[in-house]
Amino acid sequence: MDKFMEMLENILMPLAEKLNNNRYLSALRNGFMVALPMIIFGSIFVVIANLPFLDRVLGEDGFSAYQAALGPASEATLSIMGLFVIIGIGYKMVEQRGGEAIYGGVVAIASFLIMTPQIVEEVGGVIPTDSLGAQGMFLGIFTAFISAELYHLFVRKNLTIKMPEGVPSAVSRSFSALIPVTITLTIFLAVRILFSFTGFETVQNFIYTLVQQPLTALGSGLPATLIAVLLIQVFWFFGLHGQIIVNSVFDPIWYSLNDENLAAFQAGEELPHIVTKQFLDTFIVGIGGSGMTLAVIICIFVVAKSRQMRDLAKLGGPSGIFNVNEPVIFGLPIIMNPLVMIPWLLAPVVVAAVTYFAMSVGFAPRPAGVIVPWTTPALLSGYLATGNNLMGAVMQLINMGIVFVIWFPFVKLLDKQYYGEEMSAAEPAN
Amino acid sequence: MIKILLACSSGMSTSLLVQKMEAEAKERGIDAEIWAVAQDKAPEDMKKADVLLIGPQMRFMKKKFSVTADEVGIPLDVIDPVAYGRVDGKAVLDKALELTGKN
Repeated sequence: MDKFMEMLENILMPLAEKLNNNRYLSALRNGFMVALPMIIFGSIFVVIANLPFLDRVLGEDGFSAYQAALGPASEATLSIMGLFVIIGIGYKMVEQRGGEAIYGGVVAIASFLIMTPQIVEEVGGVIPTDSLGAQGMFLGIFTAFISAELYHLFVRKNLTIKMPEGVPSAVSRSFSALIPVTITLTIFLAVRILFSFTGFETVQNFIYTLVQQPLTALGSGLPATLIAVLLIQVFWFFGLHGQIIVNSVFDPIWYSLNDENLAAFQAGEELPHIVTKQFLDTFIVGIGGSGMTLAVIICIFVVAKSRQMRDLAKLGGPSGIFNVNEPVIFGLPIIMNPLVMIPWLLAPVVVAAVTYFAMSVGFAPRPAGVIVPWTTPALLSGYLATGNNLMGAVMQLINMGIVFVIWFPFVKLLDKQYYGEEMSAAEPAN
Repeated sequence: MIKILLACSSGMSTSLLVQKMEAEAKERGIDAEIWAVAQDKAPEDMKKADVLLIGPQMRFMKKKFSVTADEVGIPLDVIDPVAYGRVDGKAVLDKALELTGKN
C-alpha cells in the first residue's frame, strides 16, 4: 500500500506542478480571477431582479419594468464575461514575461473584436453580446493567448520605433507599442478576411463549431464530470489542491455552460444544461469545502467520543460553514489515510451522480447561471444558484445526507481507534 | 520585527493560521507582521517579507517560489501538514523563527 501511494504521489506531484505553473493555464486562471468581481456583481443583480413574490407585489407591468431597470447590470458584466477574461489573460501573459502588461490586455481585446461578427441581421456596426459571452469564450481565450504571444514576440524582436533622447519616457513608450500592436492586429485581420471566404464565414463560428461545441458537449456530460470530481478528490487525498489543478482545465467549459443557462434563465426559457460552474461549486464542493466535509463534521458531533475528533470538529466547524476545510483535510487527517479513502473518493462521485439525476428528471432545479462566491454557506448558495429556488437548498440538504450516510461507518471506525488510543494513554501503566 | 508571509491557493485557509500565529506572537511579546496571500501575489509580496511559508496543499509551488526567494534572499518552506490541520499557530510561528534564525 505504501509503495503504491508513493508511486501515485510521484506521478501527481509533478503533474500538479506542471498544470499549476503552465504559462497558459496560469494566465487563464488569472483571467477568470480578473473577471470574477464583474461576474459576482452581475450575479447579485440577477438574484435581486428575480426575488420571490415580487411579481405578485408589483404586478405584471411593474415587475417587468423592475426587471428591465436592473437588466443592464448583468448584461454589462455576467453576460459578456468573455471580455474581462480576455483582458485578464492578455495582461497576465505579457506581465509574466516582464513586458508592458496593459498592452497585452488591450491587444487581446482588439484582436478578439476583429475576429468577432460585427453585423446582426444585416445591421452593421453592431457586436452581438452573445459573442462576447458564452459563445465567444473559447475564441476569446485562444485569441488572447496568441495575440499576447505575438505582441510580446514583436516587442522582443525590437520592432519598435526608437525615439531620440530627451523625449519623455511616457511618449516613447506609447510609440514602442505601435509597431508590435499594428503587426499583431493586421495578422488577425488577415485571418478574419481569410475565413470570410470559407463556409464558416467567421472565425468565431469556426472555433465554436469545431472546438467549443464538442468540448462543452463532452464537459456537460456525466462521465466527464464524474472523472473531474474524482480527480479533484484524488489530488486532495495526496494533500494537493485539487480544484486549482483540475479547474484550470475545466473552467472555460463550465463557465460557457453557465452563461448559456443564464441566457435561457433571463429569457424565461428551459435551462439547457445541468453541469455548469455552479453545479460543481454549489452542489459538490460548496457544502463544507472539497469532499463536502460539513456533513463529516456533523457526523463527528453526532457519533464521536474521542477528544481528538471532537476538538477537530470544533476547530473545523466555523470555517467549514464557509467552505474552507483545510483543518479537516489535514487534521482528521484525510490525506494519505487509508481508513477514510473510500468515503473520501466515493461520496462526491455519488452526490454528483444523484444531483445530475435529480436535475435531469426535474426534481431539483438546474443552476440558473448565477455565480455564487464559493465561500457562501450551503443552503443559501443552493437557493441563490438556482435562481432563488428553495428546492436548490433542499438538494444540498439531500447531498449532505448522502455524505453523512457514506461517512458514518468510517467516522465510527476512526473514532473507535482514536478513543482507544486516548483511553490507553490515560490509564496508568501497571 | 519579523515579517511572515503565508501563501496558499487563494489565501483563505492560510488566513485562518494567521490569526492563531498573531495571537501566539502577541503572547510571547514578539513584534510580528503576519499576512496571507493567494499564490499569484506571493512573488510580489516576498519582497516585503522575511520568510515565506507555503500551505501544504500548494507544496508543488515550492520550486517556483524558491527562484524568487533566492533573488530576494529570504528562506521559505512548506508548512507541516499536521500543524496545518491543527491550525497550530505556535508550531508554525516556531518554524518561521527557526527559518529566519530569530529563535
